[in-house]
Amino acid sequence: MAAPFAFEKRDKPLRGGQIRAFVVGVVVALLLGSILLLIAGHDPITIYTKMFDSAFGSRRGISTTLTRAVPLGLAGLAVAVAGSMGLWNIGAEGQIIAGAIAGAWVARLGGDLPGPALITLMLLGAVVGGGLLALGPAIARASLGVNEIITTLMLNEVAIRVVRYLVNGPWKDPDGNNFPIAPELPDQSALPALFERSNIGLLIAAAVLLGFGVYTARSAWGYELRIAGSSEKAATYAGISLKAKVFTVLVLSGAIAGLAGGIELTGSSDRLVEGVANGWGYAGIIVAALALMRPSGVAAVAVAFGAVQVGGLSIQTLGVPAAIASILQALILFGALSAAVFTNYRLVRRSSGVTTATVATS
Amino acid sequence: MNETTLIGLFIAVLEFGTLLYLAALGETIAEKSGVLNLGVEGMMAVGGVTAFWAGVETGNPWVALLVGVIAGAVFSALHGIVSVVLGADQVVSGLALTIGGLGLAAFIGQDLVVEPPGARFEATNLGPLSDIPWIGEIVFSQTAVAWIALLLGIITWLVLTRTRLGLILRAVGESASAADSSGTSVVKTRMIAVMIGGALAGMSGAYLTLALAPGWSEGTTAGRGWIAVALVIFGAWQPGRVGVGALLFGGLLALEPRLQTFGVEISPILLSMLPYLLTIAVLVLLSIRSRNRPSVAPAAIGSAYRREDR
Repeated sequence: MAAPFAFEKRDKPLRGGQIRAFVVGVVVALLLGSILLLIAGHDPITIYTKMFDSAFGSRRGISTTLTRAVPLGLAGLAVAVAGSMGLWNIGAEGQIIAGAIAGAWVARLGGDLPGPALITLMLLGAVVGGGLLALGPAIARASLGVNEIITTLMLNEVAIRVVRYLVNGPWKDPDGNNFPIAPELPDQSALPALFERSNIGLLIAAAVLLGFGVYTARSAWGYELRIAGSSEKAATYAGISLKAKVFTVLVLSGAIAGLAGGIELTGSSDRLVEGVANGWGYAGIIVAALALMRPSGVAAVAVAFGAVQVGGLSIQTLGVPAAIASILQALILFGALSAAVFTNYRLVRRSSGVTTATVATS
Repeated sequence: MNETTLIGLFIAVLEFGTLLYLAALGETIAEKSGVLNLGVEGMMAVGGVTAFWAGVETGNPWVALLVGVIAGAVFSALHGIVSVVLGADQVVSGLALTIGGLGLAAFIGQDLVVEPPGARFEATNLGPLSDIPWIGEIVFSQTAVAWIALLLGIITWLVLTRTRLGLILRAVGESASAADSSGTSVVKTRMIAVMIGGALAGMSGAYLTLALAPGWSEGTTAGRGWIAVALVIFGAWQPGRVGVGALLFGGLLALEPRLQTFGVEISPILLSMLPYLLTIAVLVLLSIRSRNRPSVAPAAIGSAYRREDR
């Protein structure tokens, strides 16, 4: 039995479809989320108002939201850079950890350096650390065609265990009351504050996002990237070395995620802990997908997700688990993914017998 | 090292093997139909928390198990609708299923953290079989769910390799358009495969909260869903090999807390990285091998099928 409806490809995609899809996603998420809240005996309006208020209602709230948007935006950019070439870097979570580990290592070695030098070296170390974790998947993908989705995903679990090993073993703080934490970082390694809870990590992230946005849009490199992403054949025909491109893009992607780890370490944390990546790497994938792999979109979605997370934490005082933030983020994605389909397709009723859709598009 | 600790280790190997095998078997079925589902961890959590809740409410482990299975299947349908019916990207949709599933499980389980288990699967007593030294204690005293896992593995293998249904499933996973041309509904087949995958991940989660470690706490799935995803590749998409892999990875999970007892000086944390590193190694080997031979992975995996795009 055939379904009564079929998808028909639109002649041209709907204009502004992605923004509309995102809005639909948010609305769907809020609606479904309110059903959950009602079942659990909470008033959705009160909860949502409190969430919005805590994220945007004060200078302090806004600064917290932006601080959370930094790792989300950088992880999102990392995924987007690879994604614009049709590659999936699922390993941002691990690369954030690798970046933080490398940054902490630099601090262990150069703890006596003056602040600016130490911070710069820590962030550079973080970039290298993130890139290094992506190196294996990059080589394997470029030279052997090994699926990068699985390799990067597996390395997340490895990285989590490396940091767990370090803070439970060789790097464990002897004065940490037996908690699994590394010793406190030197005071001068903290990123200078900007306003309220924001530090200059926000500026660094904004500059990186802006830089990549402009560079990929304007440069020959970015153009080649998009060609390689749209058609392997076209890329080869245009004389683009696909292998070199795949390799560079994946390592670069890892390096950007690593920077996020460095900023988290020097900006928001005073020491290396196991939960340094906090799920930002995975959320970054959703951010990038919602932004259609575009840096400008990544920044906007990252702020929105930062707000959802801040809001989620704020309602714990009302007895609602912060997990509602994860649920909302996933629902936004499901809603937007579903809505986005209708940017390129429309639903048509099948006439009896022949499927009109097949006839219309062939 | 005495006999008791050794027997304890082997019992745990089979327990963790059961946990991993159920989820990995489900993922194998989904991937065979051409759908990658990275939501295993989330589906396990949802299955685990709902089963635990049902156990507290009813006191009956079988009802609880069924609830976990149904919850897993229903939850996985979200991935099916978005990535199969609507044709959105499987990778992001699956990851969102994990993020949302872990969140949903934490939300549902908020008040269950303090609850003592209402129902649990006990070791089965198979009479004289259970009295056999070593084997009786290790194999014939496992819970009923372990036997179900074994049975499901055999059934899956038979269906995939010996029946028309299996042929259809594999055809859809190898070349969706060819299967469509021959009159198979790609969407329906994939939807069913995804939901069977969800049901088995749910059963795995239920086994965790009803048998292996009765109770509920946030993060109780502890990344085992990712090991299940890894196992499918490690086992080259074959139910038998996935089973062998489940015992091997299950063995590593069982060894982890026991290393010190056995006087091994390596950190158990380092040991716990092995499943993931082994999977990467296998993936690389498979890639090298498939340069001369056809790949063992289902050809259509990861790509949505729309008849309109044909």
